Amino acid sequence: MKLFSSQHDFQYPWASVTAANWVKYPNEVSTHVVAVDVLRREVDHTTGMLITERLITCEQPIPQWLRCFVGGQNRSYVREVSTVDPSARTLTMRSCNLTMSNLLKVYETCVYKPSESDPDNQTTFYQSAEITAYATFKRICDKIEDWSVERFDQNAKKGKIGFESVLKLLDEKLDIGNKFIDEVSGKTVGVIHDVSDKTVDVINEVSDKTVDVLHEVSDKTVVAISDVSVKTVGVLGHLTQGLVSISSGIFGRG
Amino acid sequence: MGNAMSQSVAPECTELKNKYDSCFNSWYTDKFLQGKSLQNECEGLWDDYRECLEAYLIKKGIKPMVDETAKDAPFEEKGELQSKEKK
Repeated sequence: MKLFSSQHDFQYPWASVTAANWVKYPNEVSTHVVAVDVLRREVDHTTGMLITERLITCEQPIPQWLRCFVGGQNRSYVREVSTVDPSARTLTMRSCNLTMSNLLKVYETCVYKPSESDPDNQTTFYQSAEITAYATFKRICDKIEDWSVERFDQNAKKGKIGFESVLKLLDEKLDIGNKFIDEVSGKTVGVIHDVSDKTVDVINEVSDKTVDVLHEVSDKTVVAISDVSVKTVGVLGHLTQGLVSISSGIFGRG
Repeated sequence: MGNAMSQSVAPECTELKNKYDSCFNSWYTDKFLQGKSLQNECEGLWDDYRECLEAYLIKKGIKPMVDETAKDAPFEEKGELQSKEKK
């Protein structure tokens, strides 16, 4: 699956850009790249190409919940093979994550070549990435789904129980009100107004409380639903971002 | 360019790496790109750095991960992904 591709022009000649590529790290933007090592380097004498294999070490904090899947390591490694073709004036870098590669693999390809509009002074950078997720990754998604459904069910149950107890309380209060009405109905007209006022008070109070409770329950339900939904989206977003950034590590070389 | 040199993943190899990098960077700009040399002229420095790094990668279990990934994208194929029909 193709994840994305992008293109960018640097206002520097191709030769300078490729030379800079070897001393790109450390820089203040890509602080997550903590080490760059050369694993192998050869010049192909028939083609004149320089091929270099590098190990790029990244350090980025991993979300706590993800640690159980990846064993708590903050370090991730990327292997990169680059090819400089001085006659065609291209630098091609292909890289793949070593860490968490059982979950997913991100193959990134970057190409630097002289720009078409100003080949002597500008360099065009093409970047594309391919991502492959494995079954294990899907199992994590299933886990998150299960967890979300479970959480929703718990909150919904709490909502129901809460509402029941409030309804019970109101019912008892209404009973008292009714008894009060029965009691006063046989008495003098003089006190009827008084009683009527009191009944109205009680009814109003009950009615207010019911509205309050309904609002509260409704709010809580909405909060519970959005809580679960936000968490699910958040977790999925985190997961995707986390995995992509951790596994690719040096994503966004531009 | 010209900023601080990058570290090696193995702290004990950083010095050797920086020596090799300096040599390589000059060779790259002054000779390779000029079409003056196809010969890696930093061989001695490379061997020292390489030996140090290799030991670390084996000790820390990083080497098997590199080898595993290299199967799908061999150095000989310029790191190009070979089989897309894995798993």
